[in-house]
Amino acid sequence: MIEITDVHKRYRTAHGSKWVLKGVSLCIPPKSRVALIGANGAGKSTLLRLVGGIDQPNSGRIERNCKVSWPLGLSGGFQGSLSGRQNTKFVCRIHGISDDLADKLAFVREFSELNDAFDDPVKTYSSGMRSRLAFAMSLAFDFDTYLVDELTAVGDAAFKRKSQKAFEDLAGRAGLVMVSHSESTLKNFCQTAVWLHQGRAHWFDSVEEALREYRESITA
Amino acid sequence: MNRTSVRSDVSVAVSVWKALFLREATGRLAGGRAAWLWILLEPAAHIVFLMVIFGVIQHQVRHDANIEVFVLVGVWGFFLVRNIAQRGMDAIAANQALFSYRQVQAVDTVLVRAAVEAFLYVIVGAVLLGALALLDIDVRPADPLLVMWSAFLLWAFGLGLGLMFSVIGTLLPGLGKLIRIAFMPLYFLSSVMYSVSSVPLGLRNAVLVNPITHGLEAMRGGWFAAYRGEAHISLGFLAFWALVTVFLGLALHMRYATRLTAQ
Repeated sequence: MIEITDVHKRYRTAHGSKWVLKGVSLCIPPKSRVALIGANGAGKSTLLRLVGGIDQPNSGRIERNCKVSWPLGLSGGFQGSLSGRQNTKFVCRIHGISDDLADKLAFVREFSELNDAFDDPVKTYSSGMRSRLAFAMSLAFDFDTYLVDELTAVGDAAFKRKSQKAFEDLAGRAGLVMVSHSESTLKNFCQTAVWLHQGRAHWFDSVEEALREYRESITA
Repeated sequence: MNRTSVRSDVSVAVSVWKALFLREATGRLAGGRAAWLWILLEPAAHIVFLMVIFGVIQHQVRHDANIEVFVLVGVWGFFLVRNIAQRGMDAIAANQALFSYRQVQAVDTVLVRAAVEAFLYVIVGAVLLGALALLDIDVRPADPLLVMWSAFLLWAFGLGLGLMFSVIGTLLPGLGKLIRIAFMPLYFLSSVMYSVSSVPLGLRNAVLVNPITHGLEAMRGGWFAAYRGEAHISLGFLAFWALVTVFLGLALHMRYATRLTAQ
């Protein structure tokens, strides 16, 4: 259960400040799969970062009473000078995993198909290798709710099929909050939707409905 | 299986510290070819250099302390403070990528760097003393407790500076550069290579304003039973500044917590 109460968020820029979220209140029940829909700059990623706890709202409260992942994207959270293995170890350790560290490492190494490159510094990786590592790492942990920021299938055709399958399994057992520009992905994985418009959040019980509303708002 | 169990704040912090410590130590010791050697060589080079100046050029003789350990204490203590303060200042920028995990806070990175530096410098100190002992130099401290207490207070003062500078250097990068430059004159104002009692009276008061001076001179007083220190050397003064800087540093981290991790 994630409770968001009257959250306001603004970003200061060189020319004044801009309110991105103006009083968002939401309650995301456990195991629900929510699509976040909105135009560019509507605050989708901002809301995801706030729920993920890596940014703080200017006012309002966010309560997480379950295990929530970090915002899963394809870029983040790697220290370039350390190897893929060392980065994975670090993330395991901050999530309190010590006993089955070896299992997790084996899983990430195998799933990411990095093989020997797993022990090379991350800065030597190609963007595809980085994405595969990020993807494998996000699958290695058991969260109650996964925050997903444009985490779409990467790599070659075989890897795409494998990650698609793994992601479907994951969506079957846990909750999701998902940002994606691909409507088909949202329809595939999510049951409900939140439409962010002019700093406010609107809840919809079906993704279709929310997408319709969203399309009307951009054509209008 | 109770999947909604959430870890307590303390257990999260402890696991973050452990993970960061291992990560920082790996980075520091295996960050390049023989990275560990340079950690040892920097203070060793300074000690040898100062020894050459004192022994060969000045023919200086001290009767109350052996000059090798005297210089070692000065160099080791000053570098401990300087390294913690400067590496603490870089800690936030160097760990920016890790703030995408909410468990990691900016203050954790500075605290852990100070711990790593203490760990490394205990080893560096032991190796350097061991090397002097092999050269048949008497390295036994007269009052080991006083030596350890002074070293701890120097460490705490370095931590306080590191906490403060990390906030200042991140929010005001220009001021951070000035602080970095300021460590150069500080090296000469910290009684690294001289004792305060050998400084002319007028200058002495200026040198005594620096808390690091008090730590280094107290440590020498603990090491050599016959050491003729300056009467105004006070570990209380260093402890006071350690407390003040740690408090101010933590307060700054509390105040600017969100701005420090913002990407």
